[in-house]
Amino acid sequence: MPLNKRVLRILKENMLRYVGILMLIILGSYTFVVAAGISQNLAGLVTTFTEGHMQEDLSFSTDKAIADSVELEKASNSIIEEYMSFDAALSDSLTLRLLSKTEKLNIPAVIAGRELSGPGEILLDPAFARANGYPVGSSILAAGKTFRVVGYVSLPHYIYPLKNVYDIMVSPNNFGVGVINREEFTGMDNVSVIYSVRFNDRTRSLNQQAAQFRERLHGEGITESGWIDIMNNKRARMAWASITGLKTMSVPVPAAMFLLSCLIIGIVIWRMIRSEAVIIGTLYAQGYRRRELMRHYMAIPLLLAITGGVMGSVLALPSIRPSVMAMVSYYNVPVVDIKLSFSNVLIGILTPVLFLGLSSYLVIRSELKRSPAELMKGGKQKTGVNALERALKLERFKFSTKFKLREQLRSVSRLLFLFLGVSSASVFMLFGFTIMNSMDYVFKNSTGGTYRFEYEYAFKELQYGKAPEGAEVFSAGRFYPENDEGIEFYVTGVEPDSMILTLQSSAGSPLPNDQTNITKPLADRLGIKAGDSVTFINKQDGKPYTFHIDAVADSYAGQFIFMPIAEFNAQLKLPENSYTGLWSTKKLDIPDGRLSGTKSLSETTKAMDELLGPMVSMVAVMTLISCVVGLIIIYLVTSLIIEENKNTISLFKIFGYRRREIQSLVLNSSTFVIVAGFIVGIPVMAASMGAMYGYLGAMINLVLPTIISPLYVAVCFAAILLTYQLSKLLCAKKVNAVSMSEALKAGME
Amino acid sequence: MFIDVSSLKKSYISGAVVNEVLKEIGMELDEGEIGVILGPSGSGKSTLMNIIGGIDRGDSGRVIVDGVEINNLNNDQLTDYRREQIGFVFQFYNLVPNLTVGENIEVVSNISKSPLNVDEVLAAVQMQDKKHRFPRELSGGEQQRVSIARAIVKNPKLLLCDEPTGALDYQTSRSILKLLQQVNKKYGTTILMITHNAAIAAMANRIFKLRNGEIVEAALNQATVPAERIEW
Ligand SMILES: Nc1ncnc2c1ncn2[C@@H]1O[C@H](COP(=O)(O)OP(=O)(O)OP(=O)(O)O)[C@@H](O)[C@H]1O
Ligand SMILES: [Mg+2]
Repeated sequence: MPLNKRVLRILKENMLRYVGILMLIILGSYTFVVAAGISQNLAGLVTTFTEGHMQEDLSFSTDKAIADSVELEKASNSIIEEYMSFDAALSDSLTLRLLSKTEKLNIPAVIAGRELSGPGEILLDPAFARANGYPVGSSILAAGKTFRVVGYVSLPHYIYPLKNVYDIMVSPNNFGVGVINREEFTGMDNVSVIYSVRFNDRTRSLNQQAAQFRERLHGEGITESGWIDIMNNKRARMAWASITGLKTMSVPVPAAMFLLSCLIIGIVIWRMIRSEAVIIGTLYAQGYRRRELMRHYMAIPLLLAITGGVMGSVLALPSIRPSVMAMVSYYNVPVVDIKLSFSNVLIGILTPVLFLGLSSYLVIRSELKRSPAELMKGGKQKTGVNALERALKLERFKFSTKFKLREQLRSVSRLLFLFLGVSSASVFMLFGFTIMNSMDYVFKNSTGGTYRFEYEYAFKELQYGKAPEGAEVFSAGRFYPENDEGIEFYVTGVEPDSMILTLQSSAGSPLPNDQTNITKPLADRLGIKAGDSVTFINKQDGKPYTFHIDAVADSYAGQFIFMPIAEFNAQLKLPENSYTGLWSTKKLDIPDGRLSGTKSLSETTKAMDELLGPMVSMVAVMTLISCVVGLIIIYLVTSLIIEENKNTISLFKIFGYRRREIQSLVLNSSTFVIVAGFIVGIPVMAASMGAMYGYLGAMINLVLPTIISPLYVAVCFAAILLTYQLSKLLCAKKVNAVSMSEALKAGME
Repeated sequence: MFIDVSSLKKSYISGAVVNEVLKEIGMELDEGEIGVILGPSGSGKSTLMNIIGGIDRGDSGRVIVDGVEINNLNNDQLTDYRREQIGFVFQFYNLVPNLTVGENIEVVSNISKSPLNVDEVLAAVQMQDKKHRFPRELSGGEQQRVSIARAIVKNPKLLLCDEPTGALDYQTSRSILKLLQQVNKKYGTTILMITHNAAIAAMANRIFKLRNGEIVEAALNQATVPAERIEW
């Protein structure tokens, strides 16, 4: 059909506009294929690894060895394996955790080099090895012995190699794990023995089986410590935060892009048909069928959708492997293979085709439905005034305000497009900044803000007496709400006149430590207010305890309930003057063997700094993408406004309006929509952020606050305004190019 | 002389063909007068008027309006010239479709130094009760009234009308012409008007006949006729 020659000509004439729409589609398909690809691959790798290498369901230490583990295995229908762990200090700030090689559970996967065979050999966690310079073939001095590095290893219970389960950030510069043969532990003092358990029945609730298992242990007179379920074990679960994050992102971001492309292509096509109504009517009159015209007009959106979908998906495929590999450098899992999903590509192509095809079809159909006679008269309808415009009472406003308002309200779909576009770009941009801000806040809060200690020492056994100079004692126990074992937190007894724990109320006034305070993230998660009495189950003895909460502390240092240590000991029937840990402002000389864990805030600081680097670049990329999307959207709308107003602009020129005046009237008309879009973006972002954090909290037991920093909001706003200025600059030329003869030649109206 | 044009030339070149649209045009009009340009289609009427209005430029010759040689003005100065001195009325009204009648008039009053009151000019064109209507909701004659109101709200020295009645019927045309005459009387506005209709010339002080880019006749009309008495 000769009519179709026009399609390319139309595309060429408004090149920049269609390139803009194409970019939106490409971005949509690209994010979908990449995000879905990474999350599916990573999920696949993690699942294959944890299932194939028998990830534990729980682990614990005991006061005395389990006498007959075979009997217990049978009784609880599980696999039990015991392994050894020893923290070897390589330097003041570098710890290598030596683990004994296991056979049944948490089976090490050698990902480079070879298996352990002879004595004096070690397999290292690759991130640690890389960060500290231990390639395969080198040797490492740990726990007084020299080991030869024969390979790198992944461990199902150390996918995210945290030193302490309650840490948030890994830091290969401070900590790593290594696997050695059991025999190597002989001669090392104070080696911890840890039991791993995995249940054979994967269909029954693992929580229930775990509870029963614990009862059995107690039945045999064994007291356990350091009990940790896999679901609460960030070392194993943290990867799922990224997987879920990406999975969640793989839907709304592309959906927003496709929706925006839908809206804009709908507007463009609609305007095209409207302006060509007379031609269409004439073609009808000459015997063209509606189907033929439909095909003609559908060609443009379909061409764009297919091109964009294919380009986005094809561009996405090569970026999946490097992205997964980058994630694997954080999450230590063996990379078996990375699959490029054909169905994802298909979705990445078909979704925009469906979105754009359907919206264009509806628009075109509604326009082509009219009779040839009606169409041939068509020119007139295009200047119809909508109800909104009619309803406006603008008497009081300045002329320029009236003009701008009318300009925006002229097309509701255009207004919607601009508004939604700017909001979603703002949301995306603010998202990045807020994640960074939350992390930063939590970190600052937990280091400088809430705690004034430098070292935390947790003891294996109860201690008695007074704290050494510069330190304070505390007692901690793990608890969970009666019907949700997934939420696990510490109740900590602290010195009533503690100088180290400094909690604040939400009003900013200090909270005394001689009362029971709950940190805000935990209070929010459990729905607790000041004045409530709440009952929790102690993980240790399984018995319920009731606490009266006096205040909620505005601290994001973690999920804690703090109370005076004397009260804590009394309630848990622990001896007076006993404690389980020390907070100290300086390094204490405590033999490693007595400790179940230590934490140094300066190490956390370093880890945070390491994390902040990639974080900043992530935020920069997100901001850049948002700006590009914003630019496309604002440019599209502005160029549409200019086109619709050619005659008016020309008229303004004849009347002696100056360039700047015309530019201000026409180009600045979007300002209030853009500002409104941005402002609306803030609560939308906060809500979705809250939802995501809530999800994260449930998933990996990590609660982050949504803290919107005015500074970052200002930065984002500035970025959006800058984008706006840029698009105005691009469009100013178009305004200037409108000639005065436009109005002089204008026919009807 | 308020308008003083002499030896004005203008030609369009397309490829090898040179189209001389205005050849040595000379014309004069006094302040407060009504001038009418008559001539067949394509004779260069609009081109001449556009040059006088500062929308277009002549190639050579002299165009003085109110003592200013506008051919020497740069683009910004021309913009100011149009902004301060000239009112335009077009054959097809050229109202901004999504602005109300009142707002359309504000388009111009917004940028003039000492505009007349919007309600006053609306009253002058008998459109005060339609201030909040949109152009589409008005008849052609009513739209032209609004366009005249828009042109006079800045109280221009010179009102240029390119076939103001070209799209209107007999009765409506007469009422528009009457209105223009009233404006001329009330505000002392000099008016230059293009028309196809020779009968309309009767209301003008000076009549210029244009043919093939030349003024073939320039007549002074001593006995101007009130618009309502013109018939054709
Ligand atoms: N931009 C242009 N480029 C080339 N030629 C032009 C241009 N504008 C006008 N012309 C030519 O100049 C001549 C005069 O045009 P003009 O518009 O002044 O005529 P007119 O007398 O106003 O006619 P009408 O009564 O039909 O409005 C015409 O022959 C036209 O083709
Ligand atoms: Mg003309």
